[in-house]
Amino acid sequence: MARLPADGAGAVCPGPTASSAVEILDAKTREKLCFLDKVEPQATIAEIKTLFTKTHPQWYPARQSLRLDPKGKSLKDEDVLQKLPVGTTATLFFRDLGAQISWVTVFLTEYAGPLFIYLLFYFRVPFIYGHKYDFTSSRHTVVHLACLCHSFHYVKRLLETLFVHRFSHGTMPLRNIFKNCTYYWGFAAWMAYYINHPLYTPPTYGSQQVKLALTIFVICQLGNFSIHMALRDLRPAGSKTRKIPYPTKNPFTWLFLLVSCPNYTYEVGSWIGFAIMTQCVPVALFSLVGFTQMTIWAKGKHRSYLREFRDYPPLRMPIIPFLL
Amino acid sequence: MAAVAATAATKGNGGGSGRAGAGEGGGTRKKKGPGPVATAYLVIYNVVMTAGWLVIAVGLVRAYLAKGSYHSLYYSIEKPLKFFQTGALLEILHCAIGIVPSSVVLTSFQVMSRVFLIWAVTHSVKEVQSEDSVLLFVIAWTITEIIRYSFYTFSLLNHLPYIIKWARYTLFIVLYPMGVTGELLTIYAALPFVRQAGLYSISLPNKYNFSFDYYTFLILVMISYIPLFPQLYFHMIHQRRKVLSHTEEHKKFD
Repeated sequence: MARLPADGAGAVCPGPTASSAVEILDAKTREKLCFLDKVEPQATIAEIKTLFTKTHPQWYPARQSLRLDPKGKSLKDEDVLQKLPVGTTATLFFRDLGAQISWVTVFLTEYAGPLFIYLLFYFRVPFIYGHKYDFTSSRHTVVHLACLCHSFHYVKRLLETLFVHRFSHGTMPLRNIFKNCTYYWGFAAWMAYYINHPLYTPPTYGSQQVKLALTIFVICQLGNFSIHMALRDLRPAGSKTRKIPYPTKNPFTWLFLLVSCPNYTYEVGSWIGFAIMTQCVPVALFSLVGFTQMTIWAKGKHRSYLREFRDYPPLRMPIIPFLL
Repeated sequence: MAAVAATAATKGNGGGSGRAGAGEGGGTRKKKGPGPVATAYLVIYNVVMTAGWLVIAVGLVRAYLAKGSYHSLYYSIEKPLKFFQTGALLEILHCAIGIVPSSVVLTSFQVMSRVFLIWAVTHSVKEVQSEDSVLLFVIAWTITEIIRYSFYTFSLLNHLPYIIKWARYTLFIVLYPMGVTGELLTIYAALPFVRQAGLYSISLPNKYNFSFDYYTFLILVMISYIPLFPQLYFHMIHQRRKVLSHTEEHKKFD
């Protein structure tokens, strides 16, 4: 990441009239980047970031991490200067988080990829399975059903990203998009290759297996959507408040009685359904990797719920009822 | 990949180097060492592993003297080599349960890559066992492991002779490229036999809807050495500078 040369050092940033002073040092070099001599004690970190940007336009607020200790935790945007354990001159340490990109953009690219890539394999575009199979169609019904489920899943995710999710954190580092896209796109291609392969072998237990799998898939998709709606209703537009989610009238949300992140439980369930339906090892592996990742996230969220709320329901587990 | 294995796990694989490699992080992140039971167990484990690799070393020398030739020495030490290299899998467990403060992922990768070379290449492709390249990495591993396990043992006992520390952070300069060369040549030699026999390969159609080509996989493994080798080698050089220069400073004060 490009780092600013010393020319910004010691620059006096324009600040509003009042008492406290804030100096911002580079967390790595301890070089003085900015001195804000008149900052209102009620100023929030978000406001200080905005002031800092005025002298260092390349570091827009989302890129900045300000801390009290060079190696400590980042201060939150809502933190108020007055309430921090600092004297009349607050020393903050700055770290560049690197280029940022909005969550919405990341999600849209992540999900549009698999949708599109899967269809390339489904339609057997040239250069995948050999010339004689170009634009042919599979003779197995399950292959068409699988395509429908896969596409539905990602269309649902795209629509949810646009119209349902409320992101508490606006941006993430740009490099994440490369990592995440490799993961989603790569797996989608790998799974789609086998499911749409001319030598595909349909499920061992025939239509019974497919019906069972479809049932699991549909239930989990509905469940996942219900949870996303419930979480949306929990957080009013534009706010960052956090509340304990509870079951609503919708029976799919009753899983909240047992787990902290039922959206992940349902998501894993959907993929297990898809794996049973297609009877394809790469799908099972994708489910396993996804399960591992979601368990890590769910544990983190569960922990933060426990930390934040004293009256958090004790029966709840992070992702699997009674187990994990 | 594999020869790097052990050598690169500089961050205290025996629990000891946390102490021996002292000064890392200036004590801010100093972790508690393992408890007395764990320490006793680790000492035993490291002593056994040192002894095991010594057995291999002695076996190699004896077989060489008996035969008067260095070809096909692999057969004379095949069993202890497999046994003690597979025993290194316990190191993953040590990290996982926290009695050794190394990264589980890194250690797994390092140990597994060696176990892979022993079982999935050398053991599985009989034709390569008589290749000299096998001997090349076996010798490199043997010397590395004797030093590494004795390093951990002495560190755990808080009596690390400087010569061991020096050897651990010096010999890799030669042993590591030597091991990697042996490993790569061995995999390369195995390729035609793997392809011919269709070893460990699955092709469509099958009811799992999955295919795997071990031949291609081995080529990918060989390619993966290109980014990994320099990275780990220079990491070790860096460690060497840090650990050995630090000790010399201390000596002056003593």
